[in-house]
Order: sequence, then C-alpha cells, then structure tokens
Amino acid sequence: MKTRQLLFLLALGVSQTAPGLDITLPRETAAYAPSDLPGYKLVQQNCLMCHSAHYVLYQPPGSPRAYWDAIVRKMRRPYGAFFADEDIAPMVDYLVKTYGAEQAGARAAPP
Amino acid sequence: MADRKTDSPAGRRRFLQRLGALGAGAALTHPALTAWAEGSRIVLPFANGERELLAFPQKRPLIVQTMRPPQLETPFAVFNDGLLTPNDAFFVRYHWSGIPTSVDPARYRLNVGGKVSTPLTLTLDALKTLGTPVELVAVNQCSGNSRGYFSPRTHGGQLGHGAMGNARWTGIPLRTVLDRAGVQAGAVQVSFNGLDQPPLGDGPDIVKALAIDHARDGEVMLAWGMNGADLPMLNGYPLRLIVPGYFGTYWVKHVTDIQVLDRPFEGYWLGTGYRIPDNACECVPPGTEPDQLKPIGRLKIRSFLTSLSDGATLPAGRETVLRGIAFDGGQGVASVAVSTDGGQTWRETRLGASLGKYSFREWTLPFKPERPGPLAIQVRAKGGAGEIQPLQASWNPAGYQRNVVETTRVTVI
Repeated sequence: MKTRQLLFLLALGVSQTAPGLDITLPRETAAYAPSDLPGYKLVQQNCLMCHSAHYVLYQPPGSPRAYWDAIVRKMRRPYGAFFADEDIAPMVDYLVKTYGAEQAGARAAPP
Repeated sequence: MADRKTDSPAGRRRFLQRLGALGAGAALTHPALTAWAEGSRIVLPFANGERELLAFPQKRPLIVQTMRPPQLETPFAVFNDGLLTPNDAFFVRYHWSGIPTSVDPARYRLNVGGKVSTPLTLTLDALKTLGTPVELVAVNQCSGNSRGYFSPRTHGGQLGHGAMGNARWTGIPLRTVLDRAGVQAGAVQVSFNGLDQPPLGDGPDIVKALAIDHARDGEVMLAWGMNGADLPMLNGYPLRLIVPGYFGTYWVKHVTDIQVLDRPFEGYWLGTGYRIPDNACECVPPGTEPDQLKPIGRLKIRSFLTSLSDGATLPAGRETVLRGIAFDGGQGVASVAVSTDGGQTWRETRLGASLGKYSFREWTLPFKPERPGPLAIQVRAKGGAGEIQPLQASWNPAGYQRNVVETTRVTVI
C-alpha cells in the first residue's frame, strides 16, 4: 500500500490491520446545560449512561411537560434505564425548564 | 495510531468490542472531503435546527443528529452529485449505543434457525459462495426522514431530508439462504437480529421480522457490498439485510441471527415501535391519536429538486436546467412534474435512465425564469400504479413517511 493511502486511512480512524475492521468513535461534543435545578445532576447520571445529550438538545423547543414526563418514563420502561422513581420529577422539571416549553423567557414556539 | 485509545492488542483480538457506557473517543484530524469542514455548522429550516458536522470513521463530515449512538444525516447537496450516494456520505441510524466498533470477518458467523430442516452456521466466505451473488440498486430511507418539517412538530430524531441514500448493494438473495436451511411447513415469518444492542438493562433489542413470502421473494437480500466496497461499519459491516422498497427500519445491520417462525413475531420494534395509523391515508388530524396502528411498510413516493437549494439565486431571462431525484416503494416512478405557480400548472420533466425500480431516478427540466422576484419551485412525482405526491402534508404522531410535494424558494435576479 502506498504511504499516502495508508496515512489517509489512518486519518479516517480506520485500521488496516488485517483481518478485522476497527473504528474509534469521536469524542462527544454535546453536554447538558449547567443548572442549579436538582435535575441537572440526575440527567448527567441517568441519561448519559446510555446516550449523548443530543437526544434532548434537538427536540422541538416548545415541548410541554407532559412530553418530557412521558419520555423519561419510557426510558425506564420499556427501555431499561435503572433510575429511581423519585428521580423522575426533578429530571422532568430540569428538562422542560431547560429545553422545553417552560424555558425562562420561552418564545411562544409551536410545540 | 496514538489517537486510538481503546485499541490495546488484547482488545483488537476480541471478536467484538462494544462501545462502553461513555464513548471513548479520539480527535479525528483529516482533511474535509466536502465543502463542509469538520466542526462546521448547518441550520436545518425548522425551530432548533442548528446542527454540527463531524466526520465519523469511514465518513466525511455529516450532520450530527446524535453522537452516541451515531445518527448522522447526509447534507442534502450530496444528492445532486450523482444517483448513487457515496458510502462515506451515506446516513447512519442506530437505536442503541451498544454498537460494534470492531468486527473480525474471519470470526463472524450468521446463524439460521427456527422452523428449518437444517440449522446453519455460516462464515462470511461460506455465505458468499452459497450461490451466485446479485446486485441491486435500492433506496434506504429512514421512517422519520424529514420529521423536522412536521407541523405540528412530532418527537424523535429531528431530521432534515438527508436520512436517505441510494446504493448498489451486492449480496445473496435471502431466499438462497432460507432454501439451503429448508423452511419447514407452518413458517409464517422470519426474524432478523444484529450485533447492535441496548448498552445496559433489559431494553428491547432491535429485532425485525418479515412475512415468510416477503423473505422468500428473491429480492430481499443479505448484502456485504455497497457501491463496490465493503459496507462501512456504521452501515452494518459486514452484513446487512436489504429490503427493497421498504423503510430502513427493516434493513437490519450487522445481521448475525435469522429465525424462521411459526407465529407472528411480537418484539417491541414491530409490535409497538415503527407503527403508523391503520387507515387509508395512514394519517390522523394533526395533534390527535389514531385508534388503530399497523407496522410501517413501503416507501411512499417522493421527489426533490437537488440542483437549487432554498435561498439560491437564478438569472432572469437565461435558461438553466433544473435537476432532481424521485423514488417510490418499487412500483417505479412514472413521471415527475414541476410547478412555479403554486401548483396551478405543471410541466413534465424528462426522466433519466433507470437504475432499477428501487433506485433514485433523475429528472431534468430546462427552465428560463422570466421576471425578477421570488420564485417557489415545486416538484411532484407520480408512480406507475397512480400514486401521486399530495400537495397538503398529512400527519401522524410519530412523524413518519413524509411525502408531501416539497417547495424550494429561490430568487430570480
């Protein structure tokens, strides 16, 4: 293999070490917005265990409390997350106030 | 290789290396392969639509919907580069962060079991020589492609139009494999499982199923090749299911287990997830819940203008050629028309050569805008069985299968 080709493949994060294919995923760029709300620490513990913060950050900005409540519960059943009952209310409160319909100075955004 | 932190020799020898709870990663530094540089941003045209572009392994910088697991969208301009979507630009969609990051093809096995006479355990080499390899060009489109355009908005991945791609797949008909195993009387469905799985807990693994007749139609295939190369890891290396004309949810990646079933499969991702209203329009009034649901199925007919994007300018009085793509669920695109007067009149376009009834089809139309000012260009495709794109978007709670006539707003100067 020509050196240039090899360097190119290495740069792509692809191993040419026969016989397998190995990849290395890039470091995550998203994080939950810091907050004094008690749910902030809980989403870091409970949500980041399984998925990047993008799932939350990119939802429609007008999403109401009922949506965040339903999705947090769905993460536990049926999706299998382990957090406790008492974590649900503060997590929902943080999510709706940071990313949903109850953001401070929330625009009258459509849901 | 200093940037490959997780890659101890021991780790490399392991058959599979799964992504841990927190993605160990590395700064990828390589030249941008498109106009979009690593780390640049793009704004999809809906509220909260700003996204980052990052290059994942074997991929050029793509629109990041999520990083763990990777969900990457193709920048729309790629669809104007050619009818086949390059492997390094092809969209990526996973459900769970337990994805394979290391696969040794020599140790990979495909198991075929259930209601069969001879359960099989096949190596990749054995699979590739089980019969004559076939090639098929087919569109893979995410069920939720274009979800961000729904009004009112629906939840899930807030995608633009780039969760679709068209590739030439190389593999073996699933029927060949099932025939080798010998499907027994009473078989009704076939289920498919791959290496991706929930990262922890008892969340439902991604398993999908097809009716036995569908699985044996000779078109559904197990593919190892994509546009003449191995599948990229993030598109299902080393083997994925190709279900021509059907939404991507059925195109199981990293397939390792096939089970022939004597009763309908009832797993979460078929019995609860990926369902649409069970009525003629497969829709409900916006904001309401359907009474009955059914599993999503075939792609609905769509078309796009690719040669111009929103905000582009066109010179008045000069002829240009409008160009785009159309596709459907396999009936074949019969015609594509363009309107620049809000849908009052439509001009038929010229269709390019067909790469097969499951492929993107190119359309072109010579066009000379007369007067300066804003111009809305609409594109509408008709299918061989009379299916036609609607002028008004229908709605469903999951934001699936958008296929309304799309409008591109440009300015004539």
